Amino acid sequence: MARMTVNDRPVEFLLDGDTPLLWALRDAANLTGTKYGCGVGDCGACMVHVDGEVLRSCLVTIAEAEGRVVTTIEGLSADRTHPVQQAMVAEQAIQCGFCTPGIVMAAAALLKSNSAPSEGEIKAAIRNLCRCGVQPRLVRAIERAGRVARRVETISAAPAPGISSRDAKSSVPAFGNSNDKDQSR
Amino acid sequence: MPLSRRAILTGAAVGGGLFVGWYLWPRHYSAPLIAGEDEYGFGGWLTIGKDGVVTVAVPQLEMGQGVTTLLPQIVAVELGADWRQIAVQPVPPSGAQPNIPLAAKWAPLWSSIPSLADEPGDMLAGRFARDHAFSATADGTTLAAYEQPVREAAAAARAMLAMVAAKRWGTDWEQCEVEGGLVQFGKRTLRFGDLAEEAATMRAPDPAPLRPDPPAERPVGEDDDSVDTLFPRLDLPSKIDGSMIFAGDVRLPDLVFAAIAHGPIGMQELVGYDAKTVKKIRGLVGVVKHKRWIAAVASNSWQAQKALKALRPRFSGPGAVGTEKLEQVLTTAARGEGETILSFGDPDSQLQQGAAGATYYIAPALHAAIETASATARLSDGRLELWIASQAPEAARAAAGEAVGLSPDKVVLYPLEAGGSFDARLEKQHAIEVAQIAKAIGKPVQLTWSRAEESRMVPPRTPVAIALTASLGQGDSLTPSAWRARLACPATVREFGERLFDNATPEAAMERAAGKADPLACEGALPPYAIPNVAIEHVPVTLSLPTARLRGNAAAYTAFATECFIDELAARAARNPLLYRMEMLGQQPRLVEVLRRAAQIGEWGAGDGGTGEGMAVVRMDAVGDPQRAGGGRIACIAEARAGGSGFEVERLIAVVDIGRIVNLDLARQQIEGGLMFGLALARGSSAVWHRGMPSPARLGAMGLPGLADTPDMTIEFVSSDAPPFDPGELGVAVAPPAIANALYAATGKRFRRLPLMETVA
Repeated sequence: MARMTVNDRPVEFLLDGDTPLLWALRDAANLTGTKYGCGVGDCGACMVHVDGEVLRSCLVTIAEAEGRVVTTIEGLSADRTHPVQQAMVAEQAIQCGFCTPGIVMAAAALLKSNSAPSEGEIKAAIRNLCRCGVQPRLVRAIERAGRVARRVETISAAPAPGISSRDAKSSVPAFGNSNDKDQSR
Repeated sequence: MPLSRRAILTGAAVGGGLFVGWYLWPRHYSAPLIAGEDEYGFGGWLTIGKDGVVTVAVPQLEMGQGVTTLLPQIVAVELGADWRQIAVQPVPPSGAQPNIPLAAKWAPLWSSIPSLADEPGDMLAGRFARDHAFSATADGTTLAAYEQPVREAAAAARAMLAMVAAKRWGTDWEQCEVEGGLVQFGKRTLRFGDLAEEAATMRAPDPAPLRPDPPAERPVGEDDDSVDTLFPRLDLPSKIDGSMIFAGDVRLPDLVFAAIAHGPIGMQELVGYDAKTVKKIRGLVGVVKHKRWIAAVASNSWQAQKALKALRPRFSGPGAVGTEKLEQVLTTAARGEGETILSFGDPDSQLQQGAAGATYYIAPALHAAIETASATARLSDGRLELWIASQAPEAARAAAGEAVGLSPDKVVLYPLEAGGSFDARLEKQHAIEVAQIAKAIGKPVQLTWSRAEESRMVPPRTPVAIALTASLGQGDSLTPSAWRARLACPATVREFGERLFDNATPEAAMERAAGKADPLACEGALPPYAIPNVAIEHVPVTLSLPTARLRGNAAAYTAFATECFIDELAARAARNPLLYRMEMLGQQPRLVEVLRRAAQIGEWGAGDGGTGEGMAVVRMDAVGDPQRAGGGRIACIAEARAGGSGFEVERLIAVVDIGRIVNLDLARQQIEGGLMFGLALARGSSAVWHRGMPSPARLGAMGLPGLADTPDMTIEFVSSDAPPFDPGELGVAVAPPAIANALYAATGKRFRRLPLMETVA
């Protein structure tokens, strides 16, 4: 029975201690944004932050995670506003999106320790596999996320979920009010 | 910016619903897009809600290629909608949304008629596709199949909205403009949401009043890689925060999790397992055994995996497959006699003397999608519900139903997006298994294949040996006057067809396809060059290793052999490979243009030894286009060098002509991704089978390129009004030969195998 903090909430998993964090998150906590791709640490699709460090959750048991602070893609930001999330969308550095949560977590961890990484540092840090081939955009996206993190650029590419119909009405004419009267008279 | 997107699991049930029919709708088909409360349907392709949300039906699988943006974009442009009011609904297969071009291309796989591919809109293909709800996503046919129908539906809806507005304003609907989600006349405007209910009852003009031009985005300036698109992908917000639901992410009440084991290839019959040890596993729900597999089901995936391991299943069969001698078998066969697929001129007499030859071997290639085969199923009240990402959903639906004794109309398929596929999800074994497990356990079940199962049970793209022969000697240029390509490989596309259309097991499919010539397995073997005498032959080889389709398909191996051999011929003739190719492309202005521009960007020099630059060109033809008015063309210059235990590709330059471009950034993503996939084929993504097990089976050992291995890329598109062509496979085909030719230039050594080196670090 392992207790830890997951996305700012206290959690106790009623699972065997040898259960990889990946499966505890997915099957018990229903945090399915963390993906299974290989189970042996090759692909990086299951990356999460444990005490601020990026780890492959398939290689960490819940016994090892006892008492630690775990952040998953769902907890990275409440509204998709993390600079990496915004930059990945702005650069359209996502195709099927299956490896994306792991890449975002890896890049977020990198920027936390170094908000202006060089191309070489980005290439050394991001070891995630992506078969759709978004790699040609990743360096650019992460550099851009770094600029956002350093507040030298802003992006609003990915809208927050759950926009109210009132906000939608005010910003999109197609959701606004009809103007059914002939105003020329 | 609010991008409205519907919950992915909204009712995509078959039949019934609040569907509003209209004359375009063939009424005997089930309605794929069902209007919800306060929504009104237009032709089965879109609904418009009172709130103004336009929901577009997408009958193709999103697997990263962007189809859930591409088809909605076409609707938005034709309808005159604001991009921010567009929502997407993946819909289950329906006879009303058939993929007729693909049915025509694959006619040899479902009919006894040799080829319908050259007759677009052919009656038989159309009837087949409608009758079988054939809406498969493959072979780059999305635009060919669906652009016209979605434009017509959107144009009709636009007219119907305008008619209602015009009626209220006392004017002609033709006088109204529709844009930005508003119908306008003078300064008056009406939102779609205020018109939809009445509009859905209007009679649409026939034919649908299409806008003068289809959607087109012009290529921007040279090497402008900024992403500044008017139509950003609709799927990205949900992919950036983990909320996108893939098949393994579905959560249902009482859901249990299954882990499955299959036997080694060739040893597929389950003959025993340890029943005792497994009982100690906490949370075990049950063990399901089948003739060809065994599954452990538990309250979570980890316990299921532990139980499966404890079961220690044993398998038997005619003999475990080994592919250690594959190269030898296939290269020997390629030097023998083949069946003629295509021939013109008199190649035989031309090739008798003084011909040059080389044999290329292309190893089996793995899909290695990051998402493994996954599906969720619930069987209750005589109805099977199936949550799955499938490129051939109707086949998956029918096979899953049949496996549990249900007719297809008792099976509801909820189409989910795929975490990559590369044609792996044309297969449906996991759909069958999850249904059988759900039936045996009596609870909703989620099945996720382990990586090892994925590597073993998704058949690889076929291995092939290609023997090329050419006579050197047309005039001073020494371009070939005759060419023969002889491909030794299984009838791999027929074999795939037996699985897809006849639900054959992998073994039965191999047996039924054995010994038959397979033109689709030889696609792209005809060089694009002006060579007066050509023969393309297939030597159908029977292997014990099942084979499947893979992104790039036959073009990925035929282009490798052709473009490497052309380079060899140029070297023999002591010619610059650029000029040598150019001289044979006189009838191919579009190919000349992409090659010329690529060479210009790459500052192509003499192409002599030591430069490390290599080139390749590929032309892919469209379905039903014998005059080759459409199709796609790509030229690639690679800069590579040998290094470490393998090689490094420093730069890839690609110039692409795919005709009219609907969404430029999606096209660019597909070229980038295709080049990366081709780079992976050059480096690895291949296996050898020992005792029925692929090696490597681990992703980390397949030589897949990571960020650090990614070359600098320069990609340009040609502005064109030719029919649009899917960009997904061009890069895959062109990269390996360009890289091989670059390595020749760098090292003086020819690389006639793919992957290019035996071992990759």
